[in-house]
Amino acid sequence: MSGTGFILIILTSFFFTGILIRTKSIFSGRKGPGIFQPMKDIWRLFHKENVYSQTSSFIFKIAPDIYFASILIAIMMIPFGNQKGIFSFNGDFVFFAYLLAAGKFFSIISALDTGSSFEGMGASREALYSFLAEPAFFLLMGSLALLTGYTSFSDIFSSISFDSYISIAIGTLASFVLVLISMIENSRMPVDDPKTHLELTMVHEVMILDNSGFDLGLILYATNLKFAMYGAIIANLFLTPGKELYYSVPIFIGAQTLFAVIVGASESFIARFRMSHNPQFIITIGSVSLLIFFAVLLMLGKYI
Amino acid sequence: MTNILLITFAISLIYMGIANRLSTYINILALQGIILFGVSFIELIQINTLNLIFILFETIFFKTLAIPLFLNYIIKKNSITREAEPYLPDFISVVIITAIILGSFILSNIVSGIFIRKMFFLAALAAVFSGLFIIITRKKIVTHIMGYLVIENGVFILSLSAANKMPILVNLGITLDIFVSVLVLGVFVNRIGNTFEEMSVDNLNNLKD
Repeated sequence: MSGTGFILIILTSFFFTGILIRTKSIFSGRKGPGIFQPMKDIWRLFHKENVYSQTSSFIFKIAPDIYFASILIAIMMIPFGNQKGIFSFNGDFVFFAYLLAAGKFFSIISALDTGSSFEGMGASREALYSFLAEPAFFLLMGSLALLTGYTSFSDIFSSISFDSYISIAIGTLASFVLVLISMIENSRMPVDDPKTHLELTMVHEVMILDNSGFDLGLILYATNLKFAMYGAIIANLFLTPGKELYYSVPIFIGAQTLFAVIVGASESFIARFRMSHNPQFIITIGSVSLLIFFAVLLMLGKYI
Repeated sequence: MTNILLITFAISLIYMGIANRLSTYINILALQGIILFGVSFIELIQINTLNLIFILFETIFFKTLAIPLFLNYIIKKNSITREAEPYLPDFISVVIITAIILGSFILSNIVSGIFIRKMFFLAALAAVFSGLFIIITRKKIVTHIMGYLVIENGVFILSLSAANKMPILVNLGITLDIFVSVLVLGVFVNRIGNTFEEMSVDNLNNLKD
């Protein structure tokens, strides 16, 4: 039974980006593609051959696989309600964060491996943004761990409860911060525009310019999986433990759909920031997480 | 509930650090007025009714409506450009305001009083120092007044924390508010924006006897 969350996240990843793109197209007055269109594109890419540059080394060949694998392993750690993930241990959210960082490291060095100046620029930006977003994630998970007194994902989410005003506020702020972190990590709108095709302003898209065929499909599918993964973390905040499966599965799917619609709507109404405004935006998320940490300290009465 | 409102207040301070336009500053000030209305309504429900009505009227009318609308009017009338024009990059502003909140958190733990609750002390101290920071890092006189309004909100929160015992403190805070209104009126009457091309402090250096 511990694989329920894993299977649900994989299922969600099939239509997550589709819902997002559909929301954007409805807001801009178009009919838009069907919600499985991104998966069809990825399926088409899976049938294509890889083309490798002569100047790139073996790093470029293995990096997409490692990136994909790191995200798949990270998903296995996400619990589902009161069920543990496929593997779970004390302090696994630290492992989770650094597993994602390892995958990102490989995608960065593969971008540097191609020797293209644009890709190096994109890699540098990606490294900067994820470096700035990391404190926010750790402050948030650390304060949730402090609130519940456990240090693994499944224990944290199964013992979190919203019974007072301030814990509801903490839950709301936590989901707000998680939505923003997921938008940064997946290179979505306020920080990076996936639709832009000007090399000077791209962040994530410029890093995968040289990838083609199966590798490109893996990277694109990894993005979908990452979105569904963050959506699952957010949904876990609302899956109060002890709910039966026929309650928690619709709540999970509903939370994921709502998350996709929120991301799509905010992308429709927000213009992307200037490059120089991105770091301050990400630092602001860190500051909000710090406030969550203070609120938890205040709630527990644990002062320095 | 009070704690949630005070956390929102602290978040509004961080937002003030990255705000670019004067209209955003004005919106944040109005939001802070609403938050102060909520806090004073929850905290002061026990004091006598006339005083309560006066304080609630002061927060909802002056802080939330009158001063923001009047600032808007001044900005339009004196044709002040809409950017805030800080001396520092916004990135550093956010880091410094976060450091201010961290510092006031630590300070509020060191200072322990019977009359003052820690969350109030944190929010008040953070607001006072952020207001001071906004005053020293922004060029325009209007933004100086906005920084002063933030300081004033901080003083109001601090007075609220002890208001059940000493309601006179809140009235002292309101006196500060009247002083701010005089300051805003001074900018309006002297029409600093029209006399000088730009309403920035640098022009005041040219003043001679």
